[in-house]
Amino acid sequence: MLTIGLTHYLVLAAALLCCGLYVMTTKRNAVGILIGAELVLNAAALNLVAFARYGAGGLDGQVATLFVIVLAAAEAAIAIAIFVNYYRVLATIDADRGDTLKG
Amino acid sequence: MLADVNAWLPPLGDLRLFAPELVLVGTIAAVLLVPLVAGRNPLLAGLIAMAGTVLALVATGGLAPRVADGPQGAFAAPGYAAALLADRFSVFFKLLLFAFLVLVIWLWLTGAAWRVTRPVRVGAIGGPEFFVLLLTSALGMLLMVGSLNLVVLLVAIETASLPSYALVASDRRSRMGAEAALKYVTFGAASAAIMVYGISLLFGRFGTLDLGAIATHLAAHPGTADTAFWIGLAAFAAGVLFKIAAVPMHLWCPDVFEGAPVEITTWLSVASKAAGLGLLLRVVTVLGPAPLHVEVATPLAWGVGVVAALTCTVGNLAALRQESVKRTLAYSSIAHAGYMMMAAAITLSPTAGGGGPGFTAVVAYLMVYVVMNLGAFGVTALVVWQTGSDHLSSFTALGRRAPWLAVPMAVCLFSLVGLPPLGGFTAKWYLLVALGKGAVAQPWLWILVAVAVINTALSLYYYVRIIRQMFLVENDALPAVPAPLGGVALVTGCAIVVLLLGTLWFNPLGERATILSERLFGLATTAERSQLAMVAPAADSASRAESPLTGAGVSG
Repeated sequence: MLTIGLTHYLVLAAALLCCGLYVMTTKRNAVGILIGAELVLNAAALNLVAFARYGAGGLDGQVATLFVIVLAAAEAAIAIAIFVNYYRVLATIDADRGDTLKG
Repeated sequence: MLADVNAWLPPLGDLRLFAPELVLVGTIAAVLLVPLVAGRNPLLAGLIAMAGTVLALVATGGLAPRVADGPQGAFAAPGYAAALLADRFSVFFKLLLFAFLVLVIWLWLTGAAWRVTRPVRVGAIGGPEFFVLLLTSALGMLLMVGSLNLVVLLVAIETASLPSYALVASDRRSRMGAEAALKYVTFGAASAAIMVYGISLLFGRFGTLDLGAIATHLAAHPGTADTAFWIGLAAFAAGVLFKIAAVPMHLWCPDVFEGAPVEITTWLSVASKAAGLGLLLRVVTVLGPAPLHVEVATPLAWGVGVVAALTCTVGNLAALRQESVKRTLAYSSIAHAGYMMMAAAITLSPTAGGGGPGFTAVVAYLMVYVVMNLGAFGVTALVVWQTGSDHLSSFTALGRRAPWLAVPMAVCLFSLVGLPPLGGFTAKWYLLVALGKGAVAQPWLWILVAVAVINTALSLYYYVRIIRQMFLVENDALPAVPAPLGGVALVTGCAIVVLLLGTLWFNPLGERATILSERLFGLATTAERSQLAMVAPAADSASRAESPLTGAGVSG
């Protein structure tokens, strides 16, 4: 019978990290980029909890995860407010369409 | 263990170490609540913010004697290292940040009072929300230089970043502001996410979130500096380099600086970078210089050195072809962050006889940089308010149209180049002396000396281009540029201080910086840090025994 151990969680988190990095680098839609960042944050949170459960860190990892969740929520709130503002001004949320600033 | 944590309350004395932060939090609450009684008045909000910041500056000054004997840890739960630190290092950065915040609010107040009497050409920003965001980002920056706990650092960086994203978009009608904020927030979210992943790897590798404990562990077990450690550290560095706007995390910087309201650009160009640099210095000081850490310090020194050289060169090369003055100054601020990071590389060189000269160079450079950058951005702000644009053409013939702006601008720009007899030369002088001293022991530092000198020559072109536009290009059709007296006083003051720093204060600055850097970093070595980590819980349990409330909790 297969026992789920630290390695399984780490592999899952690494897979999430790769998905997140892929999404962040390929999406043009600003919300898509934000989702990519959230995936990476979740990978990190999973890592922290897994290390807290199987490693030497104890509760620290779980407390850190709570902070990560709160930060992710705060970041999403600010980011979406900025996206709404961007949409009102430019009528798109395509990050590539903002090309006034360059050089 | 769990019961122990439940029973623990921080001793009251710890709060006194964080009087400046608490004053700032109180000010934020006041800025939010006073409009409920007095109505929405931007000027009133600005004045409350100013008063609170001055009070916090005084509180920071009062903190200095308390940390004179050594770093004080605060909020150390039993069995844990202190979550926050108050030492000379953090007090220096807090004084710098508060002083700068006062000047930025002064700049804003000047602009707000000025706009009342002028036809508004640039979107007016202000109101209670604006100051809440500004002060909250300052709070995050204060915390960034006052901790070694990875989670506290993460929260601090985000507390500094999130309000900054919103501040950039505070002029809601501005197309450039909206675009700049979008780029800032997506870059910021990505780098923060990568940083958290790095923190999770470091936590997994060492089983602790305290950098001091990680450094102690590394010293005791040199083999633990393995791939997981380096990947974790590099991912963590991504977040720190984002705040400094160092290559390769600098891409947001020019767009944000150009799109943001000019007051916010001024704030971010110095405060965000200074706090990021403080964080970087603290991290490298803890991980680097102790003799046991050669296998960590050498690659770290190379890493910081390479990033510094790239940052400097990329910043200067990109600035050469800019037409927007704000954007030119943004690239210039990237380049200057590169110079300051070079000094951080020296402090890491294991055989360079400790970090003394490197730290002196960083402290001197920061003090000069604050003044000359404020001067240059201040003049840009005054020109933007009047002409509505920061394009190079707005500065045409400024020498005739507004000599009281053009002369301070020229002084600050020449100082940014690093020409004598101005402050910028003093800063570069101490940097090159420190690099030269380091290079005697570590020949690879000569590369950094060469990069710094070549870059200084490169930067001459784009700074002088602005000066040429102001004094040598004539256009009689352009009207005079009136400016508010407060703004002129600010930029003239900056120019005078820059001039003094290059002449009369040349030696005093070096001496002061040496004293400060000795005091700042003398006790920040790894050995003493780990000693502090050991002492803090013990001292805490002693104070806990005195408190009946927590004492009962422990026995129960």
